Amino acid sequence: MLSAEVEVVNALGLHARPSARLTALAGRFRSEIWISRGARRVNAKSIMGVMMLAAGRGSSLKLEAEGPDEVQAIEALRALIAAGFDEKG
Amino acid sequence: MFSLQGSGIGGGVVIGRARVFESGSRDIERRRIESADVGHETARLDRALEQVKSELLTLADHLPLTAPPEARALLEVHAMILDDPSLVQEARAMIAEQLWNAEWSLWTQAGHLAAQFSAFEDAYLRERGRDVEQVADRVLRALAGTRVQPAHVAAAAIVVAHDLSPADMLAMREADGFVIEQGGSTSHTAILARSMNVPTVMGLATACQRIQDDDWLILDGESGTVIVSPDEDVLAAYRARQAIDSLERERLQKLVAVATRTRDGRTICLQANIEHPDEAAEALSAGAEGVGLFRTEFLFMNRSVLPDEDEQFEAYRQVVQAMQGRPVTIRTIDIGADKTLDGSMSAQAPNPALGLRAIRYALAEPQLFLAQVRAILRASAYGPVRLLIPMVAHDHEISLSLEWIERARRGLRDQAIAFDPAMAVGVMIEVPAAALCATHFARRVDFLSIGTNDLVQYTLAIDRADHEVASLYDPYHPAVLRLIQSTLRAARRAGKPVSVCGEMAGDPLATRLLLGMGLSEFSMHAATLLRVKREVLDGDVTRLAPRVARLIACDDPVRSRSMLDRLRADPDGARPQR
Repeated sequence: MLSAEVEVVNALGLHARPSARLTALAGRFRSEIWISRGARRVNAKSIMGVMMLAAGRGSSLKLEAEGPDEVQAIEALRALIAAGFDEKG
Repeated sequence: MFSLQGSGIGGGVVIGRARVFESGSRDIERRRIESADVGHETARLDRALEQVKSELLTLADHLPLTAPPEARALLEVHAMILDDPSLVQEARAMIAEQLWNAEWSLWTQAGHLAAQFSAFEDAYLRERGRDVEQVADRVLRALAGTRVQPAHVAAAAIVVAHDLSPADMLAMREADGFVIEQGGSTSHTAILARSMNVPTVMGLATACQRIQDDDWLILDGESGTVIVSPDEDVLAAYRARQAIDSLERERLQKLVAVATRTRDGRTICLQANIEHPDEAAEALSAGAEGVGLFRTEFLFMNRSVLPDEDEQFEAYRQVVQAMQGRPVTIRTIDIGADKTLDGSMSAQAPNPALGLRAIRYALAEPQLFLAQVRAILRASAYGPVRLLIPMVAHDHEISLSLEWIERARRGLRDQAIAFDPAMAVGVMIEVPAAALCATHFARRVDFLSIGTNDLVQYTLAIDRADHEVASLYDPYHPAVLRLIQSTLRAARRAGKPVSVCGEMAGDPLATRLLLGMGLSEFSMHAATLLRVKREVLDGDVTRLAPRVARLIACDDPVRSRSMLDRLRADPDGARPQR
């Protein structure tokens, strides 16, 4: 099991489209992946779960992964979130 | 006649007959299954999920070119909900473990998820529950074997429905308006309606009961009012307003294919300003002959990691290819050191407008500048590109910029990466120093572009955002007009192209003035392009020129104001002059 902390930097936070990108990326890995914010912990492959984190800009998220590609999974997700999902505005 | 009030999503006013779709409340079949049927029931659910997913993705792949860029993303979000384990795996578990039928299992799980969202205080998140329900509703329709696509809706009909998913709305995009019981301004359906610019009112809870098929409706998408079965005089008043609006739109639309030539036969080039690659489509449909100003700041704002050369290249190439051979002018980064790249304020510069910004900032961060220049050069392999440098005031800023551009060219050549060696390089004329040195600058670069907004601010020392002095912001101040005039003259003498890309270029009230100064290249937001074009078609440069020359030479504000008013009011520029 690996984990990492990352901060949400994009303006709108984890609204629908970033959540969709995050979920799609998580779905490419075989590992089980969870994201938590405070007490809420969700499956990173569930778009509804990710949206339910209600993670606005500045929120701190914890990523956890367990499985054969956990290293790559954590790094890829961390990079996507830290880059602000490349969104405009 | 009575009226209903919902929340206005936008799109203006429309009058039409109602086409009511049955209320969404339905009886969900709830039945126990035999354990021997679990496999069969699960397969039914999976088939329905697959069917809906492929419908949504097919719809996304076959969107018309005119569809808003949001449409595709919204459909994809809905398609992803179909893969969501919290919906699908839980529904499968209900079938297998509790022996419920597919319909009831799916509906129950969707209900659980929606309920969790409805507990949020945030309006945006509350609306996300509707997304699950809309997707589940589609799957239920597929399970029932009913056609998932709603009936084709004729034009001139206003759709009245309990709830519509973005996919439903796209399938019914021929409709003239939408009245929807569910949802609010942050729903995905509302986002889509706004981007399609179709009159829409949402959150009108009793619409399906109170409105009947074929009722006449006046739908005001701005105020959120729906007038049902309006009286003759109310209808007449709205019709008159609507007729004027639509006549205007039609007239303007007809101008798209007309060559942009003045009455005295001068060809004028009208281009579009864009801020995001997606806007290229809008520019083309307004008939823009190119992109006169592609602001690249969107790539750099609101992020903590800078876009690398490849990411920038992709964005620039997308626009160049979308414009299909028309020229694209890409302006290098125009942000300042007062804003950090993630949008937060850093150590406050004493006076940001006069501080380290635009080309000053780029030259202070040469690696960032070099990456951008390389990305722009690489995009030039895909169509005509011009590179534009903002806020130049000093000769050495031009020298340094040209050196970096040459270094980028050398690097690309060494790496055997394609670019256009003849790519034009120009500078913005937006500080008075540049306007006064325009003769020299015009010799040093391939073209000039006048940014009127900053030129007005710097010439008059007015910050338009400061309410105390905003009223002193005047693009028609003789000092501003004289700087524009002398810049145009300098470019003409040097034989270099010059354009105006500030707000003035997109203001139809300024078109004749600029034509009279001899301007032949305008760049503006696509939304105002056709209105400016109409002014150009009506203009006669030969007649306008002496009138404009007198106006610019005039120091008496009252007289110059009345000359400007006459210039605007006189429709054909043909009134004999004294």
